[in-house]
Order: sequence, then C-alpha cells, then structure tokens
Amino acid sequence: MSEPVSEPVSEPTSEAATPVRDTPTTATSTTATPTAGTPAPGASRPLLAVPGITARTLRLVLWLAVVAVAVAVPFYLEGFWLQAGLFAMSAAIGAIGINLLTGATGQLSLGHAFFLAVGAYSYVYLSTDLGLPTPLAAVAAVIVAGLCGGVFSPIAGRLKGAYLGIATLALIFVGQHILFNAEPVTGGFNGRPVPPMELFGLVFADTPELVVLNVPFGSLERLWFLGIALLAGVAVFARGVLRGRPGLAMNTIRDHEIAAGVMGVPVARYRAGVFVLSSMYGGLAGVLVALVFQQVVPDYFGMLLSLDYLAMIVIGGLGSVAGAVAGAAFVSLLPQLLTRYSDALPLVAEPGSGGVSPAEAARILYGAAVVAVVLFLPGGLAGLATRLGRVRLKELRWAKSAPAPASRR
Amino acid sequence: MAVFLELLVNGISVGAVYALIALGFVVIFKATEVVNFTHASLLLAGGYVIARLHPLIGFWAALAAGIAAAALVGALVEFLILRRAHVGSRGVLAIVTIGVDILLTTELTRQIGTEVLALGDPWGDRVLHLGPVTIAETRVVALAVAAALIVAFLLAFKFTGWGVAMRATAEDAETAALMGVRLGRVSLSAWAVAGALAAVAALFLCVFPTPGLDRGTAAAAMKAFPAAILGGLDSTTGALAGGLIVGVTETLMSGYQSELAFLGRGIGDAAPFLVMIVILLLRPSGLFGTKEPARV
Amino acid sequence: MGKIGTRAGVAALALLSLAVAASAAGCASGKATGGGDGAGATAGGDGVKTGPGVSATTITVSALTDLTGPYASFGKSLTQAQQLYFDQVNAAGGVCGRKYELVVRDHGYDTQKAVAAYTEVAPKSAAIAQFIGSPMITALKQRVDGDKLLTIPMAWATTLLGSRAIQVTGTTYDVDMINAVEFLVKEKGITSGDKIGHLYFEGDYGESSLNGSKYAADKLGLQIVEQKIKATDQDMSAQVAAFKAAGVKAVLVSVGPRQTASLVGVSLAKGMDVPFVGSNSAYSPQLLPTPAGPALLKDFYYVSAGTPVSVQNAAMQRLVADYQAKYPGETLDSGVPTGWSAAMIVDEAMKKACEAKDLTREGVLTAHRSQSGFGGDFGTPMDFTFFDKPASRSSYLLKPDKAALGGAVVFREAEVSELAKDYPVPVG
Repeated sequence: MSEPVSEPVSEPTSEAATPVRDTPTTATSTTATPTAGTPAPGASRPLLAVPGITARTLRLVLWLAVVAVAVAVPFYLEGFWLQAGLFAMSAAIGAIGINLLTGATGQLSLGHAFFLAVGAYSYVYLSTDLGLPTPLAAVAAVIVAGLCGGVFSPIAGRLKGAYLGIATLALIFVGQHILFNAEPVTGGFNGRPVPPMELFGLVFADTPELVVLNVPFGSLERLWFLGIALLAGVAVFARGVLRGRPGLAMNTIRDHEIAAGVMGVPVARYRAGVFVLSSMYGGLAGVLVALVFQQVVPDYFGMLLSLDYLAMIVIGGLGSVAGAVAGAAFVSLLPQLLTRYSDALPLVAEPGSGGVSPAEAARILYGAAVVAVVLFLPGGLAGLATRLGRVRLKELRWAKSAPAPASRR
Repeated sequence: MAVFLELLVNGISVGAVYALIALGFVVIFKATEVVNFTHASLLLAGGYVIARLHPLIGFWAALAAGIAAAALVGALVEFLILRRAHVGSRGVLAIVTIGVDILLTTELTRQIGTEVLALGDPWGDRVLHLGPVTIAETRVVALAVAAALIVAFLLAFKFTGWGVAMRATAEDAETAALMGVRLGRVSLSAWAVAGALAAVAALFLCVFPTPGLDRGTAAAAMKAFPAAILGGLDSTTGALAGGLIVGVTETLMSGYQSELAFLGRGIGDAAPFLVMIVILLLRPSGLFGTKEPARV
Repeated sequence: MGKIGTRAGVAALALLSLAVAASAAGCASGKATGGGDGAGATAGGDGVKTGPGVSATTITVSALTDLTGPYASFGKSLTQAQQLYFDQVNAAGGVCGRKYELVVRDHGYDTQKAVAAYTEVAPKSAAIAQFIGSPMITALKQRVDGDKLLTIPMAWATTLLGSRAIQVTGTTYDVDMINAVEFLVKEKGITSGDKIGHLYFEGDYGESSLNGSKYAADKLGLQIVEQKIKATDQDMSAQVAAFKAAGVKAVLVSVGPRQTASLVGVSLAKGMDVPFVGSNSAYSPQLLPTPAGPALLKDFYYVSAGTPVSVQNAAMQRLVADYQAKYPGETLDSGVPTGWSAAMIVDEAMKKACEAKDLTREGVLTAHRSQSGFGGDFGTPMDFTFFDKPASRSSYLLKPDKAALGGAVVFREAEVSELAKDYPVPVG
C-alpha cells in the first residue's frame, strides 16, 4: 500500500540497520538493566534439526501470514469489525506514544487525550479552514500536536513523578474547556465534520464508489489500509527508538534519573524530546480516529480516554511496542465484543435486567486485567507472549536435540 | 462587595470538602509515595454504606459503619493488591490504583443503580446567616472537621509512634526498615486511614447543598487532585490550603462568569487546574510540599 | 526485520495477498455479494419490497441507549417500554406478516462506543427506535442521513433537525424554554425589564435551551443572567449567589436532576424564593425522597411535550398497567411514555410502508414523512411532514407531586405560546 503519510520524524535513529534479533521486547523495569540491550542468543542459529529453517525464516513466514491476514480482512469482515479494528489501530498508535513516555521513560502522563484532540481538531481546521491538501493537513496536525507537547514540556521538565502526572490532568480540563468554547475553530459542543483524506487521487470515503474484486470498498475498507500502513510505520519507528541509543538513555532515565545524568545522558533534553514525540503519536492517533468518526466532538477527548491509554500500556506491557499494540487491542476491542455478543454470553445479563450488563462487564474485566497483570503477569501481554514463545522454543529444541539445552541465563 | 463575600465564604466552604478529600491523597502519598486514584471509589464505598445503613441504625452509627467499611476496603486494596504488585515504579502503582478504582466504581455504581441516596445527616438544609452572607451548616461542620483532622494529623505525625514511623518511611524507606519500622504495617495503616477519611469526605460531599449520593459522586473526587498537588502532595497543611484555594478559585470564577465571559463560560471547572499549573511552575513540589532530595 | 528480508517479504506478501483477495472474491465472501445499504432491495414472496433489517419473518429495530452512564435511569425506562411495545405488537400478530426484533446496545454515553454500536447494528436494522445522547447522534448525523435509517433520537437539541432520517419527537429544548418564559410572564408576574436566571449545561442541551430563553427574553424585554455549568458540578451555591446578586425574579433550569435539586434547595435556604422552570431533562421523580424534595415541591415546574404518566387517559392508563405488570416495582418516569411513543412512531411508519408494499429504508422514510397528525395520547400532536422544524411547538407545564404516579402532574395543559408559534428555529 501507500507510504505512511505522516510518520513523525524527529530524531535520527538506527532502526533500519538493526538486524533481526531474538530480543525480548519487554522492559519490565524490575531490574536496572535495560533489557533492550541484552545480547540475543539464538539469533539465526538453526532452530530445529532441519537444516535451512532458521528463526529468521520462521519469523518471516509469521510476519507474512500476519500481513496477508491484515490485507484480507476488509474483503471478508463487515463494517463493525473494520471499525473496531480501526479504533484499535488508532489506540495502538496512541498507546505506542504514551508507552515511550510512561513505559520507557517513566513519566506518568494523564494528558494523552489532549494531544489526540489537538491532532484531530488541527487536521479538521487545517484542511477545512486553511484549505491545505488533506495529507499535508494530517502531517501538519501531527506537527501541531508535537508543538503543543513542546510548549508544555518546560513544565513537564520542571516537574517530577506524581506532580507531573497530575499536572498533565490540567491539559485535559483546560483542553476540553477550549474545545467547548473556541467555537470558530472547534465548532463548540457540536464539533465539526472531518473532511475525508485524499491520497494520490484515492478518497477515503464512501463516495465515489469503489469496488475491488467484487467487494464494495467504502470508507472503512479504504481506511483500514491507511491505518495498517500508519501503524506499521510508527511501530517500526518506535521500535528503532527503543532499541537504539535513545531507548537505552530513556530506560536509564526511568530507572535512575540522577545516574543517567552522571553517565552523560542529557536528561532534560531527552525528557522534553520524548514528551514531544509522544504528543506527536497522540496527534496521529487523533487524526486517524477523526477520519474514522467523520465528525470530531469534544466529549470524546476526556479523562476516561487518558486513563484508557494508561491501562493499555500496563495490560500490554510497559516499554514495548508490541505491548502497546496488544494492550490497545485488548482495551478497545473488549467492550465492543462483549456488547456485540452479550446475547450469547452466560454471565452477562440482558440490558436493564439488573444483572451485570455488557458495558459493566467490560469495565470490570478491564479493571481486573490491570490488577491481574501487575499481580501475576509482569511484562503484560507482550511479556506473556515472549515467555510462551520461549517455552515453546525450548520444548522444540529439547524434542529435536536429545541433550538438554543450555538454559538461557 | 456583598457578592464577593458571599462567594468567598461559599468557596471556603466548598474548599473544606476538597481539603478533606485531598487529605486522604496526602496520607497515602506520605506513607507510600503512590498517587491514589482509588480514592474516588473509597468515597463511593463509604458514602454507600452510610446511605444504606442510616435508615436502619441511625445516622451516627451508620457514619461509624461507613468509616469502618471504607477503612477496611482501603486496607484490603493495600493488602491484596498493592503490596503484591510486581512493578518497579510508583508511576505504575498509580496506574494500578486506576485499575482498582475502575473495578470498585463499576461495582458500586451498579449497586447504587439509578437512585439518588440521601445520607440522613442531622443538619439538613439549614443555613447560618453571617450578616449579608449565608453559609450551609453542613459546610461549617465540614470546615471544622477538616481543620480538626488536620491538626490531629499534624500532632499524630509529631508525637505518636505511628506518625514517626510514617515520617521515617517517607524520608527513607530502606533506612526506616533497617531501623525496625515495619513498612507493610505503615502502608496498610495509611490506606486504612485514607479510607476512613474518604468516608468522612463522602459524607460532606453528598449532603446539602448537593442532593445525595449517586453514580456521579465519584467524579467530584477529581477536583481534589489539584488541591492535593498545589498544596504539596506530602503536606497535611498543604491539603487544607490547596482545598481552600481550589474551592475559592472555582466559586469565584463561576460566580463572576458573566464578567469573565471572554474566558469562555464554565471557566470555573478549568480554573483550578490553571492555578495549579502556575503554582507548580513557581514551586514544583507545591506550596508546602518537601522538595524531593536527590538520592544517589 | 532485516532489510533484505523485508524486501523479499514485501514482494511475496503482495503476491500472497492478491491471491487471498482473489480467492475471497472468487468464493463469494458475505461481502462480495454487496450487502450495502438500500441498493439490495428485493421483493419477498409476499410482494413487499424489503431492505436491510427486514427478512421474510422479522423486522429488526435497534435501540442505542445508555444503561450504565449518566442517563441510565432514563435509558432503562425507555428500553423497557419499547420492549413492552414490540412484545405486544408481536403477540397481536406483528406487522406486515413479520415479527419485530429489538436489538439493544448500551453505549454508556460514550461517543466511541455509540459509533461502534451504530456501525454494528445499522446494516441489519430497519429503524432505530431510540438513540440517547446528543453528542453521539451529532457525531453520526451524516451517516444516519446517508444510510436513510429512520432514527428517533432521545435528545431534543435543534442541532438534530434538518435530516430526513432523524425524527426529533415533540418540541425542541428551545421551544420548551420559550413556552417557559411566556408562562413566567403570564402567570408568575414577570414583567418587562426583569432579570431571569438561566442555569444550563455545557453542550447542545443547555445551549439549545439558552437560544430559546434568549429569544423570548429579547421579545419580551427581559434580561437573561447566564450561568453555565458542567455535568460533573454538584454544588450550585456559587451559581445561586450570582443569581441572587443579579436580583433575578425567576430561574430557568436546563441541567440534570441533581443540579436542579441543589439549585432549588440552596436558593430557598438562602432566601431566594423565586419560581423555577426546568427543561424536561431537569427533573426526575427519584429526587422527591431526597432532602431536596420539599424545595422541589414548592415552586418548581418543568416543561415537556410528553404527557406525564399520571394523566387520566385510557391509553396512558393501559400503558401504566401493562408496564407495572411486566416490570413490577420499576420507576415510572417520563421515559416510559416517551419510549413507548417512539416505538409507536416506528411501528406506524412500518405499517404505512407495508401498505405501500415497500419496506426498504426509502419506503419506510417516505411512509413516515407522510404523517401530519401523529399521537396525542402520549404527548402533544406531531407533524412529521417536514424535518427542518420541530414536530410540535406546544408543551405541557408539569409540576412535581409526591402522590402522583411518576412524580408529576399537569399544571397547565399543553399550549403553544404566541412567541413559539413564530419562532424561527435554528437548524443543524
């Protein structure tokens, strides 16, 4: 498909050059050792006794399967699933951003929803009122979100820990006040319609009609590919950041700020930089969610949204890209699935009958998931996947090569 | 001038309630350095027990039961979850308390359902007249209770073994543990005390001038966040000061919104946060908070 | 991934995905047949053209409601009343040889969940019998219009007007407030030059209401003292102080029931003894047992196009009896008749569409828009033939009453005020 339109580019990284490694992507911060830097045992080593099949090939096949499924989805699934998927993709982009800030660098932020709002509204304003071409407006919206992060980052740089976390709450409350009151720009309580994205002559809307291989391609089908491309782009970028020198520096700041400073990490600059980068991710998530909604309304960008993002990265796994994506999928899909299948689920009562309704069940499960992860699953869903993968690899090796394998640590 | 006085007195009276809520944040932060988002659901729990029991056992007994119940819930949250959480940073623990809050709030609002529950307090809707200014009796009581509790805490921190243990933990947990302070006990008791405070705050949050406890009550706890922060998260005096600042700011901005219409109407809700940002820029640890010493 | 791996992967992937996609089209996935809107209209065995949501045996109607959010009590009453309605129609043989199926989705007053729920149910629904929440409907207005899906919003802001598919029932908030101001002038001794307070919520409910009160005040030479609050505000002391300082002679109330209770209670306690008139969402009978009850019973009224359940007409009494039989012990608030009559609007449209042998969405809309004198038993009469104006301009004036069923009685019969008759309603 097309190139990601508005991949934030702020720091040069060495991501593309990073070779395939079997590195666990989680960084659970229980130790001060930055996990991203651990050596990668077993990379490209023959995995099974069969010659030629390496972990690398296996991985490639796996990724191909993932991509093939992602491409095939719009041809099979109905609008509900596509939209749920798009919400999850947008959430994943935003969650990757806040994971850079909160997960990897250790700065609590409750203001992420504000940056989504900035991205969404900037896109609308820039494309509708200033008449920028939509892809340009999207890029500009992401930059505006970054600028807003930059404006706030002196405050963020001055405050620490809990104080910073609650100071970011101000962004939400002040931000919503502006959204409701700056009517010429934001449309007030009504919000504003979102112009569809137009990229290389393709309009991401229901009209003009488009039929691909006999399947009618409406806005959701078209946006699906845009969402996949954007998510893939920003995920690869974030992975590069996390695995490269910046990632090491960020983890060191999280684990021991003063030590980081002593070791020569420009702490203030990094903290500000990560804040800006995370805001840009939020902005991009906002643009995508606006395109899906087709109308931006201020109510959406409230405190609950910010709290959702924090829950996502804890559930998924702090400090890792895969974790952010997994957590985003969990948190944004769970309520929709429960609502949709409420009729078929035994524990969930019919709405209004006094039992646990689907929406309540979703809230309870989601709260319980946060608690369960910190109690039983350090590293979140991503950590679980890594561990499962590791166990399976061990079993495979053990089965194929009779002598017990050397333990990993 | 009469309007200003009236608004000022109202602001102070609302501030007293915020101060009580903020005090709960402060106690937990002081002992464990965790920002406790569960406080909102502790409020709901305490209020719910009072509301359900007062027709059966009378108001004062119900209040005692509510305080005990909220303290128990607080202690359980600490004992069952936070103590066992495998996380590195306090920030993550804060997110855990968000998860717990979602769990508890969902269940409690489900129990409350669509009702508006009265708390059966003895003050009713009586008001005191101070010259041209009127103030609800409930709020006078709230102010007195908040002041008394804050003095009590100040004394307790200075003179009781528990208070010394807590201060020592706040200063340096490891050293305190080496000196024989049982960290688990300190943190458990802090959570229990915070729960009890939440029940008291819930009482004043749900009586006149507000109609009663309902599913929306927890949202009000959010307003106590700027109060706790701008006073200083580890200062009981700060909780009182912060509560009053937030209450007065909010009330004045709402009361004068016609004059301040250029800022957008409804500025009253955003204003406390603006004040908070300004104060934090000047004093990054709040008005009365202790600056975190750099430990290497 | 390594660079080389990626390149090779991309090439392979392109081929693979094409293959998958082609096979998708080849083996006719559900979507390939074109399950889009209205286009796939087919005539069934009975000669009735059908569209999405209508099969040979069922007509699917959806309810996008709030059962867990701030409007939970209202949503519950609406949903139960509608379930009752469709059950009764089904028991009596259904419509057009088909039975109704009510699909309920709870969005908890969350925009994203509402949009998701709409996307799920819209393709399989013939109509939406209730949709709670102005922000949610506003977010979906364009799509509802494009889908031509008859939708009854449970919100009365003028921003919802102007769409052929969306049928706002009864009066809009601003018309209610105009009628309220005229009531104050006629019966509460408010005269030109007086000040009236208006406490309202941020958002389209409050701001639509404010449009109405401002219009009426302008025409009658009154002055409006505005106080805007958020739904999370609970204590109205500051607002009362401001009203008192401005010397208002009456207060209009366009907020939630909790805020109304606080406002009225504080005002009386502080000696501001003036009449209060609320919008129809400002009052809930659940408030009467609370300490604010007595204050509400004193000099508070509210305006609504919906008939209260306490009224003595045969249809209402039957509804009350049936509702209590099916849901014993449940609160009987305004949601019950409102939900019932919304279900009735959908049902009538279906019946009319069936007569014309056209149950496509277009057919249903055409049938619906052909009715000019709907109802009367559960609210003021409505005209559906236009959609850029409120369906009705007359509203009841109701007063809380502890003894009455549903906690309110008619204080003044429904009428259209002179002002409301000529009021140019802002649309969209």
